[in-house]
Amino acid sequence: MKNLKLYWLAFNTSLQAKFEYRVDFLLGVLTSCMLQLSALAQLWIIFHQTHGLNGWIPDQVILLFGMTAMALGLSELFFNHIWMVPGYIVMGDLDRLLTYPVNSLYFLLITKPELHAFGNLITGLVLTVIALFHLNAPWYAWVLFPILAISGCLIYTAALVIFAALSFRYIGPSSMHLMIPHALLNATRYPISIYPQFMQLIVLILVPYGVFHYLPASFLFGKDPSFWMIFVTPLAALLFFWESGCVWRWGLNQYESTGS
Amino acid sequence: MRPLQQPLSLSASLNGYASFFVRCMKASFAYRATVITNLATTAIFYAITIMVWRQVYSQNSNLTISSSQMFIYLLLAGCGNYALGGMVVEFRIGNRIRTGLIATDLLKPVDFQISQGIQALSDGLFNGSLSIVVFLLGFCVFKEQMFPASLQALGLSILSFLLGLVVMYGIGFVFVQGAFYTYSGYGIFAARNALQGTFSGVFAPLSFYPPVLKTVAEWLPYRHTIYTPISIYMGWAKDNDAYSLILQQAAWAVGLLLLGRFLMKYALKQLEIQGG
Repeated sequence: MKNLKLYWLAFNTSLQAKFEYRVDFLLGVLTSCMLQLSALAQLWIIFHQTHGLNGWIPDQVILLFGMTAMALGLSELFFNHIWMVPGYIVMGDLDRLLTYPVNSLYFLLITKPELHAFGNLITGLVLTVIALFHLNAPWYAWVLFPILAISGCLIYTAALVIFAALSFRYIGPSSMHLMIPHALLNATRYPISIYPQFMQLIVLILVPYGVFHYLPASFLFGKDPSFWMIFVTPLAALLFFWESGCVWRWGLNQYESTGS
Repeated sequence: MRPLQQPLSLSASLNGYASFFVRCMKASFAYRATVITNLATTAIFYAITIMVWRQVYSQNSNLTISSSQMFIYLLLAGCGNYALGGMVVEFRIGNRIRTGLIATDLLKPVDFQISQGIQALSDGLFNGSLSIVVFLLGFCVFKEQMFPASLQALGLSILSFLLGLVVMYGIGFVFVQGAFYTYSGYGIFAARNALQGTFSGVFAPLSFYPPVLKTVAEWLPYRHTIYTPISIYMGWAKDNDAYSLILQQAAWAVGLLLLGRFLMKYALKQLEIQGG
Protein backbone atom coordinates (compact mmCIF):
# COMPACT_ATOMS: atom_id res chain seq x y z
CA MET A 1 0.00 0.00 0.00
CA LYS A 2 2.84 2.35 0.94
CA ASN A 3 4.56 1.53 -2.34
CA LEU A 4 1.37 2.14 -4.29
CA LYS A 5 1.19 5.66 -2.84
CA LEU A 6 4.80 6.21 -3.82
CA TYR A 7 4.16 5.04 -7.39
CA TRP A 8 1.12 7.32 -7.64
CA LEU A 9 3.10 10.28 -6.31
CA ALA A 10 5.89 9.65 -8.82
CA PHE A 11 3.41 9.34 -11.69
CA ASN A 12 1.48 12.43 -10.66
CA THR A 13 4.62 14.55 -10.35
CA SER A 14 5.86 13.46 -13.78
CA LEU A 15 2.44 14.15 -15.27
CA GLN A 16 2.31 17.67 -13.83
CA ALA A 17 5.81 18.39 -15.10
CA LYS A 18 4.74 17.32 -18.58
CA PHE A 19 1.62 19.53 -18.48
CA GLU A 20 3.88 22.57 -18.00
CA TYR A 21 4.76 22.40 -21.73
CA ARG A 22 1.31 23.27 -23.03
CA VAL A 23 2.25 23.84 -26.68
CA ASP A 24 4.03 20.48 -26.78
CA PHE A 25 0.99 18.85 -25.19
CA LEU A 26 -1.43 20.27 -27.75
CA LEU A 27 0.91 19.57 -30.66
CA GLY A 28 1.53 16.02 -29.43
CA VAL A 29 -2.20 15.28 -29.08
CA LEU A 30 -2.96 16.77 -32.49
CA THR A 31 -0.21 14.90 -34.28
CA SER A 32 -0.91 11.53 -32.66
CA CYS A 33 -4.54 11.99 -33.80
CA MET A 34 -3.09 12.66 -37.27
CA LEU A 35 -1.10 9.41 -37.13
CA GLN A 36 -4.23 7.45 -36.24
CA LEU A 37 -6.19 9.16 -39.01
CA SER A 38 -3.38 8.32 -41.43
CA ALA A 39 -3.76 4.65 -40.49
CA LEU A 40 -7.52 5.00 -40.79
CA ALA A 41 -7.01 6.34 -44.33
CA GLN A 42 -5.34 3.00 -45.14
CA LEU A 43 -8.53 1.24 -44.05
CA TRP A 44 -10.47 3.64 -46.24
CA ILE A 45 -8.27 2.71 -49.23
CA ILE A 46 -8.82 -1.01 -48.55
CA PHE A 47 -12.60 -0.69 -48.22
CA HIS A 48 -12.63 1.40 -51.39
CA GLN A 49 -11.50 -1.80 -53.14
CA THR A 50 -13.46 -4.45 -51.20
CA HIS A 51 -16.58 -4.59 -49.03
CA GLY A 52 -15.08 -6.61 -46.19
CA LEU A 53 -12.04 -8.48 -44.97
CA ASN A 54 -12.61 -12.21 -44.64
CA GLY A 55 -16.19 -11.65 -43.53
CA TRP A 56 -15.45 -8.65 -41.31
CA ILE A 57 -17.41 -5.57 -42.37
CA PRO A 58 -15.89 -2.06 -42.09
CA ASP A 59 -17.54 -1.20 -38.72
CA GLN A 60 -16.22 -4.42 -37.19
CA VAL A 61 -12.69 -3.68 -38.42
CA ILE A 62 -12.99 -0.11 -37.10
CA LEU A 63 -13.80 -1.60 -33.69
CA LEU A 64 -10.51 -3.57 -33.79
CA PHE A 65 -8.74 -0.42 -34.96
CA GLY A 66 -10.21 1.69 -32.14
CA MET A 67 -9.39 -0.88 -29.46
CA THR A 68 -5.79 -1.08 -30.72
CA ALA A 69 -5.46 2.71 -30.55
CA MET A 70 -6.87 2.72 -27.00
CA ALA A 71 -4.43 0.02 -25.82
CA LEU A 72 -1.57 1.99 -27.37
CA GLY A 73 -2.76 5.26 -25.84
CA LEU A 74 -3.14 3.78 -22.35
CA SER A 75 0.32 2.22 -22.52
CA GLU A 76 1.88 5.51 -23.64
CA LEU A 77 0.07 7.40 -20.91
CA PHE A 78 1.03 5.14 -18.03
CA PHE A 79 4.06 3.09 -19.05
CA ASN A 80 5.92 5.00 -21.76
CA HIS A 81 9.25 5.13 -19.94
CA ILE A 82 10.12 1.64 -21.17
CA TRP A 83 11.16 3.15 -24.52
CA MET A 84 14.13 4.85 -22.79
CA VAL A 85 15.59 1.65 -21.31
CA PRO A 86 18.08 0.81 -24.13
CA GLY A 87 19.65 4.28 -23.81
CA TYR A 88 19.72 4.07 -20.00
CA ILE A 89 21.51 0.71 -20.12
CA VAL A 90 24.27 2.03 -22.36
CA MET A 91 24.69 5.23 -20.32
CA GLY A 92 24.62 3.41 -16.98
CA ASP A 93 21.61 5.48 -15.89
CA LEU A 94 19.81 2.46 -14.49
CA ASP A 95 22.22 2.46 -11.50
CA ARG A 96 20.32 5.31 -9.87
CA LEU A 97 17.01 3.51 -10.26
CA LEU A 98 18.38 0.29 -8.81
CA THR A 99 19.29 2.05 -5.57
CA TYR A 100 15.64 2.97 -4.89
CA PRO A 101 13.72 0.74 -2.44
CA VAL A 102 11.02 -0.02 -5.02
CA ASN A 103 10.38 -2.52 -7.79
CA SER A 104 12.65 -1.20 -10.56
CA LEU A 105 10.35 -2.23 -13.40
CA TYR A 106 7.13 -0.76 -12.01
CA PHE A 107 8.83 2.45 -10.91
CA LEU A 108 10.54 2.86 -14.26
CA LEU A 109 7.36 2.22 -16.21
CA ILE A 110 5.27 4.90 -14.55
CA THR A 111 7.72 7.76 -14.20
CA LYS A 112 7.55 9.22 -17.69
CA PRO A 113 3.97 9.51 -18.93
CA GLU A 114 3.66 10.69 -22.51
CA LEU A 115 0.93 13.24 -23.12
CA HIS A 116 0.56 12.65 -26.85
CA ALA A 117 -1.04 9.42 -25.63
CA PHE A 118 -4.27 11.41 -25.25
CA GLY A 119 -4.41 11.70 -29.04
CA ASN A 120 -4.32 7.92 -29.49
CA LEU A 121 -6.67 7.40 -26.56
CA ILE A 122 -9.27 9.92 -27.77
CA THR A 123 -9.16 8.68 -31.38
CA GLY A 124 -9.43 5.07 -30.19
CA LEU A 125 -12.29 5.85 -27.83
CA VAL A 126 -14.25 7.78 -30.45
CA LEU A 127 -13.82 5.06 -33.10
CA THR A 128 -14.70 2.26 -30.65
CA VAL A 129 -17.86 4.03 -29.47
CA ILE A 130 -18.93 4.81 -33.05
CA ALA A 131 -18.34 1.20 -34.10
CA LEU A 132 -20.24 -0.21 -31.10
CA PHE A 133 -23.19 2.10 -31.85
CA HIS A 134 -23.26 1.17 -35.53
CA LEU A 135 -23.08 -2.52 -34.69
CA ASN A 136 -25.89 -2.29 -32.10
CA ALA A 137 -23.59 -3.96 -29.59
CA PRO A 138 -25.27 -5.62 -26.56
CA TRP A 139 -24.94 -4.03 -23.10
CA TYR A 140 -22.17 -6.38 -21.97
CA ALA A 141 -19.95 -5.24 -24.85
CA TRP A 142 -20.11 -1.68 -23.43
CA VAL A 143 -19.23 -2.97 -19.96
CA LEU A 144 -16.40 -5.13 -21.23
CA PHE A 145 -14.62 -2.83 -23.62
CA PRO A 146 -12.81 -0.71 -20.96
CA ILE A 147 -11.59 -3.93 -19.31
CA LEU A 148 -10.44 -5.26 -22.67
CA ALA A 149 -8.65 -1.99 -23.48
CA ILE A 150 -6.80 -2.09 -20.13
CA SER A 151 -5.87 -5.72 -20.82
CA GLY A 152 -4.60 -4.68 -24.25
CA CYS A 153 -2.50 -1.97 -22.63
CA LEU A 154 -0.94 -4.52 -20.25
CA ILE A 155 -0.21 -6.99 -23.06
CA TYR A 156 1.38 -4.32 -25.26
CA THR A 157 3.45 -2.97 -22.37
CA ALA A 158 4.57 -6.49 -21.44
CA ALA A 159 5.72 -7.08 -25.03
CA LEU A 160 7.70 -3.82 -24.90
CA VAL A 161 9.26 -4.86 -21.57
CA ILE A 162 10.40 -8.19 -23.05
CA PHE A 163 11.97 -6.52 -26.08
CA ALA A 164 13.54 -3.78 -23.92
CA ALA A 165 15.06 -6.43 -21.64
CA LEU A 166 16.93 -7.84 -24.65
CA SER A 167 18.96 -4.62 -24.57
CA PHE A 168 20.56 -5.79 -21.32
CA ARG A 169 22.47 -8.38 -23.29
CA TYR A 170 22.15 -8.17 -27.05
CA ILE A 171 21.11 -4.85 -28.51
CA GLY A 172 22.68 -1.37 -28.45
CA PRO A 173 21.44 2.08 -27.45
CA SER A 174 18.68 2.44 -30.03
CA SER A 175 15.03 1.74 -29.20
CA MET A 176 14.30 0.69 -32.77
CA HIS A 177 13.82 -2.98 -31.82
CA LEU A 178 10.86 -1.89 -29.69
CA MET A 179 9.19 -0.99 -32.96
CA ILE A 180 8.81 -4.72 -33.65
CA PRO A 181 6.13 -5.31 -30.96
CA HIS A 182 4.65 -1.97 -32.03
CA ALA A 183 4.41 -3.13 -35.65
CA LEU A 184 2.86 -6.41 -34.51
CA LEU A 185 0.26 -4.49 -32.48
CA ASN A 186 -0.59 -2.49 -35.58
CA ALA A 187 -1.04 -5.77 -37.47
CA THR A 188 -3.97 -6.56 -35.19
CA ARG A 189 -5.88 -3.53 -36.45
CA TYR A 190 -7.01 -5.99 -39.10
CA PRO A 191 -8.87 -9.27 -38.42
CA ILE A 192 -6.24 -11.86 -37.50
CA SER A 193 -8.01 -14.50 -39.64
CA ILE A 194 -6.68 -12.82 -42.82
CA TYR A 195 -3.11 -13.76 -41.90
CA PRO A 196 -1.36 -17.08 -42.58
CA GLN A 197 -1.21 -19.65 -39.76
CA PHE A 198 2.29 -18.73 -38.50
CA MET A 199 1.32 -15.07 -38.18
CA GLN A 200 -1.87 -16.00 -36.30
CA LEU A 201 0.23 -18.03 -33.87
CA ILE A 202 2.54 -15.06 -33.29
CA VAL A 203 -0.23 -12.56 -32.49
CA LEU A 204 -2.45 -14.99 -30.58
CA ILE A 205 0.07 -17.05 -28.59
CA LEU A 206 3.60 -15.63 -28.67
CA VAL A 207 2.60 -11.98 -28.25
CA PRO A 208 -1.10 -12.41 -27.45
CA TYR A 209 -2.48 -9.15 -28.82
CA GLY A 210 -5.38 -10.97 -30.40
CA VAL A 211 -6.94 -11.91 -27.08
CA PHE A 212 -7.88 -8.37 -26.08
CA HIS A 213 -9.97 -7.45 -29.13
CA TYR A 214 -10.01 -10.05 -31.89
CA LEU A 215 -11.21 -13.04 -29.82
CA PRO A 216 -13.91 -11.13 -27.87
CA ALA A 217 -15.05 -9.45 -31.10
CA SER A 218 -15.22 -12.85 -32.82
CA PHE A 219 -17.65 -13.98 -30.12
CA LEU A 220 -19.57 -10.72 -30.18
CA PHE A 221 -20.12 -10.88 -33.95
CA GLY A 222 -20.99 -14.58 -33.93
CA LYS A 223 -17.84 -15.65 -35.79
CA ASP A 224 -16.85 -17.98 -32.96
CA PRO A 225 -19.33 -19.27 -30.37
CA SER A 226 -16.76 -19.77 -27.55
CA PHE A 227 -18.12 -17.61 -24.72
CA TRP A 228 -15.01 -18.23 -22.58
CA MET A 229 -12.98 -16.05 -24.95
CA ILE A 230 -14.25 -12.97 -23.13
CA PHE A 231 -12.91 -14.14 -19.78
CA VAL A 232 -9.58 -15.34 -21.05
CA THR A 233 -8.46 -11.77 -21.88
CA PRO A 234 -7.65 -10.39 -18.39
CA LEU A 235 -6.04 -13.70 -17.42
CA ALA A 236 -3.85 -13.70 -20.52
CA ALA A 237 -2.91 -10.07 -19.86
CA LEU A 238 -1.87 -10.74 -16.27
CA LEU A 239 0.02 -13.90 -17.22
CA PHE A 240 1.90 -12.16 -20.04
CA PHE A 241 2.71 -9.20 -17.76
CA TRP A 242 4.09 -11.63 -15.17
CA GLU A 243 6.18 -13.30 -17.89
CA SER A 244 7.58 -9.93 -18.89
CA GLY A 245 8.56 -9.34 -15.24
CA CYS A 246 10.52 -12.62 -15.31
CA VAL A 247 12.33 -11.57 -18.50
CA TRP A 248 13.07 -8.17 -16.94
CA ARG A 249 14.65 -9.86 -13.89
CA TRP A 250 16.70 -12.06 -16.21
CA GLY A 251 17.84 -8.93 -18.01
CA LEU A 252 18.75 -7.16 -14.78
CA ASN A 253 20.95 -10.11 -13.84
CA GLN A 254 22.94 -9.47 -17.03
CA TYR A 255 23.30 -5.73 -16.33
CA GLU A 256 26.88 -4.65 -15.67
CA SER A 257 26.57 -0.85 -15.55
CA THR A 258 29.18 1.31 -17.29
CA GLY A 259 31.44 2.08 -14.35
CA SER A 260 31.14 5.84 -14.90
CA MET B 1 22.10 28.91 -44.09
CA ARG B 2 25.00 31.33 -44.54
CA PRO B 3 27.97 30.41 -42.32
CA LEU B 4 29.22 33.00 -39.81
CA GLN B 5 32.84 32.52 -40.92
CA GLN B 6 34.31 33.52 -44.26
CA PRO B 7 33.03 31.11 -46.94
CA LEU B 8 35.48 28.58 -48.35
CA SER B 9 36.48 28.30 -51.98
CA LEU B 10 34.34 26.01 -54.13
CA SER B 11 36.80 23.10 -54.09
CA ALA B 12 37.31 23.38 -50.32
CA SER B 13 33.52 23.46 -49.82
CA LEU B 14 33.07 20.37 -51.98
CA ASN B 15 35.77 18.59 -50.00
CA GLY B 16 33.98 19.54 -46.79
CA TYR B 17 30.62 18.26 -48.03
CA ALA B 18 32.25 15.04 -49.27
CA SER B 19 33.72 14.44 -45.82
CA PHE B 20 30.24 14.93 -44.27
CA PHE B 21 28.93 12.30 -46.69
CA VAL B 22 31.69 9.78 -45.92
CA ARG B 23 31.57 10.33 -42.15
CA CYS B 24 27.83 9.80 -42.12
CA MET B 25 28.16 6.61 -44.17
CA LYS B 26 30.78 5.28 -41.71
CA ALA B 27 28.48 6.09 -38.77
CA SER B 28 25.69 4.12 -40.46
CA PHE B 29 27.99 1.10 -40.74
CA ALA B 30 28.95 1.43 -37.05
CA TYR B 31 25.38 1.06 -35.73
CA ARG B 32 24.75 -2.42 -37.12
CA ALA B 33 22.13 -3.48 -34.55
CA THR B 34 20.10 -0.36 -35.27
CA VAL B 35 20.33 -0.97 -39.00
CA ILE B 36 19.19 -4.59 -38.65
CA THR B 37 16.28 -3.83 -36.31
CA ASN B 38 15.25 -0.94 -38.54
CA LEU B 39 15.22 -3.28 -41.52
CA ALA B 40 13.29 -5.92 -39.55
CA THR B 41 10.62 -3.39 -38.53
CA THR B 42 10.16 -2.19 -42.11
CA ALA B 43 10.03 -5.82 -43.28
CA ILE B 44 7.30 -6.62 -40.73
CA PHE B 45 5.30 -3.54 -41.76
CA TYR B 46 5.44 -4.55 -45.42
CA ALA B 47 4.83 -8.24 -44.74
CA ILE B 48 1.61 -7.19 -42.97
CA THR B 49 0.67 -4.82 -45.79
CA ILE B 50 1.24 -7.56 -48.38
CA MET B 51 -0.83 -10.05 -46.34
CA VAL B 52 -3.69 -7.54 -46.11
CA TRP B 53 -3.65 -6.90 -49.86
CA ARG B 54 -3.38 -10.63 -50.56
CA GLN B 55 -6.69 -10.99 -48.72
CA VAL B 56 -8.22 -8.11 -50.71
CA TYR B 57 -7.14 -9.76 -54.00
CA SER B 58 -8.53 -13.12 -52.88
CA GLN B 59 -11.93 -11.44 -52.47
CA ASN B 60 -11.85 -9.13 -55.48
CA SER B 61 -9.92 -10.19 -58.58
CA ASN B 62 -11.26 -7.32 -60.72
CA LEU B 63 -8.89 -4.66 -59.41
CA THR B 64 -7.27 -2.28 -61.90
CA ILE B 65 -3.76 -3.53 -61.09
CA SER B 66 -2.88 -7.25 -61.21
CA SER B 67 -1.88 -8.90 -57.93
CA SER B 68 1.73 -9.54 -59.04
CA GLN B 69 2.10 -5.89 -60.10
CA MET B 70 0.66 -4.83 -56.75
CA PHE B 71 3.10 -6.95 -54.76
CA ILE B 72 6.03 -5.69 -56.85
CA TYR B 73 4.79 -2.15 -56.19
CA LEU B 74 4.68 -2.84 -52.44
CA LEU B 75 8.19 -4.35 -52.46
CA LEU B 76 9.54 -1.28 -54.25
CA ALA B 77 7.58 1.01 -51.93
CA GLY B 78 9.14 -0.84 -48.99
CA CYS B 79 12.64 -0.28 -50.41
CA GLY B 80 11.89 3.38 -51.06
CA ASN B 81 10.32 3.90 -47.67
CA TYR B 82 13.29 2.27 -45.94
CA ALA B 83 15.68 4.59 -47.78
CA LEU B 84 13.61 7.66 -46.92
CA GLY B 85 13.11 6.54 -43.31
CA GLY B 86 16.87 6.47 -42.83
CA MET B 87 17.16 10.19 -43.46
CA VAL B 88 15.71 11.11 -40.02
CA VAL B 89 15.93 14.83 -40.82
CA GLU B 90 13.59 15.84 -37.98
CA PHE B 91 15.58 13.99 -35.33
CA ARG B 92 19.03 14.95 -36.56
CA ILE B 93 18.38 18.68 -37.01
CA GLY B 94 15.68 18.88 -34.31
CA ASN B 95 18.08 17.59 -31.66
CA ARG B 96 20.74 20.08 -32.72
CA ILE B 97 18.26 22.93 -32.42
CA ARG B 98 16.97 21.85 -29.02
CA THR B 99 20.41 21.16 -27.52
CA GLY B 100 21.92 24.31 -28.98
CA LEU B 101 24.50 22.39 -31.05
CA ILE B 102 23.22 24.30 -34.05
CA ALA B 103 25.27 27.25 -32.76
CA THR B 104 28.49 25.35 -33.51
CA ASP B 105 27.10 24.19 -36.86
CA LEU B 106 26.51 27.79 -37.87
CA LEU B 107 30.12 28.63 -37.02
CA LYS B 108 31.39 26.11 -39.56
CA PRO B 109 32.40 27.58 -42.92
CA VAL B 110 29.82 25.51 -44.80
CA ASP B 111 26.17 26.07 -45.59
CA PHE B 112 23.98 24.52 -42.85
CA GLN B 113 21.16 23.40 -45.13
CA ILE B 114 23.50 21.83 -47.69
CA SER B 115 25.72 20.09 -45.11
CA GLN B 116 22.70 18.61 -43.33
CA GLY B 117 21.25 17.64 -46.69
CA ILE B 118 24.45 15.81 -47.66
CA GLN B 119 24.30 13.83 -44.40
CA ALA B 120 20.62 13.00 -44.89
CA LEU B 121 21.33 11.93 -48.46
CA SER B 122 24.19 9.72 -47.25
CA ASP B 123 21.86 7.99 -44.75
CA GLY B 124 19.15 7.62 -47.39
CA LEU B 125 21.54 6.08 -49.92
CA PHE B 126 23.00 3.75 -47.28
CA ASN B 127 19.54 2.45 -46.39
CA GLY B 128 18.61 2.35 -50.07
CA SER B 129 21.61 0.16 -50.84
CA LEU B 130 20.61 -2.26 -48.06
CA SER B 131 17.17 -2.63 -49.55
CA ILE B 132 18.80 -4.24 -52.60
CA VAL B 133 18.45 -7.46 -50.56
CA VAL B 134 14.66 -7.04 -50.66
CA PHE B 135 14.89 -6.23 -54.36
CA LEU B 136 16.80 -9.48 -55.04
CA LEU B 137 14.25 -11.38 -52.99
CA GLY B 138 11.60 -9.91 -55.27
CA PHE B 139 13.53 -11.19 -58.30
CA CYS B 140 13.52 -14.71 -56.82
CA VAL B 141 9.71 -14.59 -56.47
CA PHE B 142 8.53 -12.52 -59.44
CA LYS B 143 11.37 -13.29 -61.90
CA GLU B 144 11.34 -11.08 -65.03
CA GLN B 145 8.21 -9.24 -63.83
CA MET B 146 10.52 -7.36 -61.45
CA PHE B 147 12.43 -5.83 -64.40
CA PRO B 148 11.74 -2.16 -65.17
CA ALA B 149 9.38 -1.41 -68.05
CA SER B 150 12.33 -0.34 -70.26
CA LEU B 151 15.91 0.90 -70.02
CA GLN B 152 14.61 4.45 -70.26
CA ALA B 153 12.23 3.71 -67.38
CA LEU B 154 15.16 2.41 -65.31
CA GLY B 155 17.25 5.52 -65.92
CA LEU B 156 14.39 7.92 -65.27
CA SER B 157 13.25 6.06 -62.16
CA ILE B 158 16.77 6.25 -60.65
CA LEU B 159 16.79 9.99 -61.33
CA SER B 160 13.30 10.21 -59.87
CA PHE B 161 14.33 8.25 -56.77
CA LEU B 162 17.26 10.64 -56.17
CA LEU B 163 14.96 13.62 -56.63
CA GLY B 164 12.55 11.92 -54.22
CA LEU B 165 15.28 11.91 -51.57
CA VAL B 166 15.79 15.66 -52.10
CA VAL B 167 12.02 16.30 -51.91
CA MET B 168 11.91 14.29 -48.68
CA TYR B 169 14.79 16.30 -47.25
CA GLY B 170 13.04 19.51 -48.29
CA ILE B 171 9.83 18.44 -46.53
CA GLY B 172 11.75 17.42 -43.39
CA PHE B 173 13.70 20.69 -43.38
CA VAL B 174 10.49 22.73 -43.55
CA PHE B 175 8.88 20.71 -40.75
CA VAL B 176 11.94 20.80 -38.49
CA GLN B 177 11.74 24.59 -38.31
CA GLY B 178 9.00 23.90 -35.78
CA ALA B 179 11.74 22.69 -33.39
CA PHE B 180 12.67 26.36 -32.84
CA TYR B 181 9.28 26.88 -31.20
CA THR B 182 8.61 23.58 -29.39
CA TYR B 183 10.64 21.44 -26.98
CA SER B 184 9.35 18.11 -28.22
CA GLY B 185 10.55 16.56 -31.46
CA TYR B 186 7.75 14.01 -31.48
CA GLY B 187 5.05 16.33 -32.79
CA ILE B 188 7.11 17.46 -35.77
CA PHE B 189 8.10 13.93 -36.69
CA ALA B 190 4.59 12.53 -36.18
CA ALA B 191 2.93 15.26 -38.26
CA ARG B 192 5.29 14.74 -41.18
CA ASN B 193 5.06 10.96 -40.81
CA ALA B 194 1.25 11.01 -40.82
CA LEU B 195 1.10 13.08 -44.00
CA GLN B 196 3.84 11.01 -45.64
CA GLY B 197 2.09 7.75 -44.69
CA THR B 198 -1.21 8.94 -46.13
CA PHE B 199 -0.25 10.73 -49.31
CA SER B 200 3.02 9.19 -50.56
CA GLY B 201 1.55 5.94 -51.85
CA VAL B 202 3.54 3.95 -49.32
CA PHE B 203 0.60 1.64 -48.61
CA ALA B 204 -0.98 1.40 -52.07
CA PRO B 205 -0.68 3.01 -55.51
CA LEU B 206 -2.55 6.31 -55.85
CA SER B 207 -4.88 4.75 -58.42
CA PHE B 208 -6.38 2.70 -55.54
CA TYR B 209 -7.15 5.80 -53.47
CA PRO B 210 -10.71 7.07 -53.00
CA PRO B 211 -11.19 10.16 -55.26
CA VAL B 212 -10.99 12.73 -52.43
CA LEU B 213 -7.78 11.29 -51.02
CA LYS B 214 -6.27 10.98 -54.49
CA THR B 215 -7.03 14.61 -55.36
CA VAL B 216 -5.40 15.83 -52.15
CA ALA B 217 -2.38 13.54 -52.74
CA GLU B 218 -1.91 15.01 -56.22
CA TRP B 219 -1.66 18.54 -54.82
CA LEU B 220 0.97 17.66 -52.21
CA PRO B 221 4.68 16.79 -52.64
CA TYR B 222 4.58 13.47 -50.73
CA ARG B 223 3.69 11.30 -53.74
CA HIS B 224 6.95 12.36 -55.39
CA THR B 225 8.91 10.50 -52.70
CA ILE B 226 7.44 7.02 -53.31
CA TYR B 227 4.72 6.81 -55.94
CA THR B 228 6.37 8.82 -58.72
CA PRO B 229 9.68 6.85 -58.96
CA ILE B 230 7.83 3.53 -58.81
CA SER B 231 5.20 4.50 -61.39
CA ILE B 232 8.03 5.43 -63.78
CA TYR B 233 9.90 2.17 -63.03
CA MET B 234 6.81 0.08 -63.67
CA GLY B 235 5.93 1.90 -66.86
CA TRP B 236 2.67 3.39 -65.56
CA ALA B 237 4.10 6.82 -66.43
CA LYS B 238 5.91 6.83 -69.79
CA ASP B 239 7.60 9.32 -72.12
CA ASN B 240 6.08 12.79 -71.70
CA ASP B 241 4.22 11.81 -68.54
CA ALA B 242 7.45 10.58 -66.94
CA TYR B 243 9.35 13.74 -67.95
CA SER B 244 6.54 15.89 -66.63
CA LEU B 245 6.60 14.04 -63.28
CA ILE B 246 10.36 14.50 -62.99
CA LEU B 247 10.01 18.21 -63.71
CA GLN B 248 7.33 18.44 -61.02
CA GLN B 249 9.64 16.64 -58.59
CA ALA B 250 12.49 19.03 -59.37
CA ALA B 251 10.17 22.02 -58.94
CA TRP B 252 8.96 20.71 -55.56
CA ALA B 253 12.56 20.00 -54.47
CA VAL B 254 13.72 23.54 -55.30
CA GLY B 255 10.57 25.12 -53.85
CA LEU B 256 10.79 23.22 -50.57
CA LEU B 257 14.51 23.92 -50.13
CA LEU B 258 13.93 27.64 -50.73
CA LEU B 259 10.96 27.65 -48.36
CA GLY B 260 13.09 25.90 -45.72
CA ARG B 261 15.83 28.53 -46.07
CA PHE B 262 13.29 31.33 -45.84
CA LEU B 263 11.67 29.86 -42.70
CA MET B 264 15.01 29.21 -41.03
CA LYS B 265 16.11 32.80 -41.59
CA TYR B 266 13.24 33.92 -39.35
CA ALA B 267 13.33 30.97 -36.96
CA LEU B 268 17.00 31.65 -36.13
CA LYS B 269 15.96 34.97 -34.58
CA GLN B 270 13.93 32.92 -32.12
CA LEU B 271 16.90 30.77 -31.06
CA GLU B 272 18.13 31.03 -27.48
CA ILE B 273 21.33 29.19 -26.54
CA GLN B 274 22.10 28.58 -22.88
CA GLY B 275 25.49 30.03 -22.02
CA GLY B 276 26.68 27.16 -19.80
